[in-house]
Amino acid sequence: MYTNDQDDTGVVFRKTTGHYIVHANGRDIDCVLSSLIHKQLIYPTADPTSLRHRVQDVREIDHVDPIAIGDRVRFTPFADAGQNRGMITEILPRLSKLSRPAYARAFEQVIASNVDLVLPVFAVAEPTPKWGLLDRYLVSAESSKLPVLIVITKLDLAWKNKSFASDLEAYRRAGYPIQLVSANTGMGIEDLKQTLQSKTSVLVGKSGVGKTSLLNAIQPGLGLRVKAVSNGEQGKGRHTTTHLEMFALDFGAAIIDTPGIREFGLWEVSGEELAYLFPEMSKFVGKCKFGLSCHHDTEPGCAIRQAVMAGEISPHRYKSYMNLRREL
Amino acid sequence: MRNHITSFGEFTCAHCGYLVSAAHSLSGVNNRNHCPYCLWSCHLDLFAAGDRLSACKGPMKPIGLTMKRSRNKYRLEARGELMLIHECADCGSLSINRIAADDDSESILTVFQDSLRHSHQKFRLCEGQGILMLGTGALQAVQVQLFGPRREALIPMWE
Repeated sequence: MYTNDQDDTGVVFRKTTGHYIVHANGRDIDCVLSSLIHKQLIYPTADPTSLRHRVQDVREIDHVDPIAIGDRVRFTPFADAGQNRGMITEILPRLSKLSRPAYARAFEQVIASNVDLVLPVFAVAEPTPKWGLLDRYLVSAESSKLPVLIVITKLDLAWKNKSFASDLEAYRRAGYPIQLVSANTGMGIEDLKQTLQSKTSVLVGKSGVGKTSLLNAIQPGLGLRVKAVSNGEQGKGRHTTTHLEMFALDFGAAIIDTPGIREFGLWEVSGEELAYLFPEMSKFVGKCKFGLSCHHDTEPGCAIRQAVMAGEISPHRYKSYMNLRREL
Repeated sequence: MRNHITSFGEFTCAHCGYLVSAAHSLSGVNNRNHCPYCLWSCHLDLFAAGDRLSACKGPMKPIGLTMKRSRNKYRLEARGELMLIHECADCGSLSINRIAADDDSESILTVFQDSLRHSHQKFRLCEGQGILMLGTGALQAVQVQLFGPRREALIPMWE
């Protein structure tokens, strides 16, 4: 039984199958989901004044999970469970979200919501950085109008990757802020903490780049489980973190740790708008010979291709653009 | 067993219109660079073969042949690997490319014969980029590379 007169609001910090940990008023409340959230009520489409306004049909909503980490929710505490259990009855409007497609691009999977900053985390080495994946994160964040801070970890392994400084230059020139850190030596951690202050951030990156180690370095008391990467040639991660979780940090910030993401598709991004989501390309859109119809591939008089050849746009970023364009 | 990964499966030559397969089993190369019929290419690579980082994408004309330098200093230069020289019709950049197993040998010989009519300026342009375009003196070596040492003896049998 639950009481209807004690609705409260909180933020979803963690979720496991069927259970959501909602943080409210300094307490963690284990909540289940009201079945109404899974359903959409269908009303008559005719003029509401001409018909009795009543529900015609109830349809199941197609989604991976209606609740994302960071969601602000309204919940009703169960009266007989010592105020530590409840039922989520409503999801409050999201201010922002970071999404990717799931199940053969059929559904949207919201990785995190109501975040202020996206932190794509890449290691200098072990595993070798995949800049194409970073471009996907950046495009997704641009599409959600979320600011980004690129975090490069394992700076103590810089000797293993001699080209990383030149590779990063393309992102610096595109206007993205970059923070170099080492969880081992503590280099760059204080600067990062200052940037994260009073913000809710989400860490994204492939397995083994050191997202959780970084979180442990930012707040040593967390004691989250980390593992060394495998000994293979690429130094692949071992998927140590297996669930999404938000942590409230002592210095007035919140951060969402995510499991390693190997594939990251783009959700609700069209081929036509893609060039706008590359900041260094956006100023050239519309200046091609074929105007806004240009695909920036083999068309003559393409302003973006000319900018690549003139050295204004990195050829690697242009290749990423073409790869993403073929997907959309 | 080594996996041979190609950049793409097949394509239509923008110059002659033939459908070209990039399968390693046919071409013997990992990155099919040019059409085996007309030998024209497309300016796709920037720093290394197969990187596909060039934004130029202009047509590349086969302008001549060169020999890949052998690391073995005792090896005769004429026994090096025969390579095609391509020049981009849009941006003018030069590149040398491996001849694939299914390239038309007669077309390669035609490219070589046409290259003998190039101006000295063109030869010097190639030389300036470290590419030694083969001249008249290399005719026999080219024929040997393309058709083997006994071409004249074999031709009557085909006819």
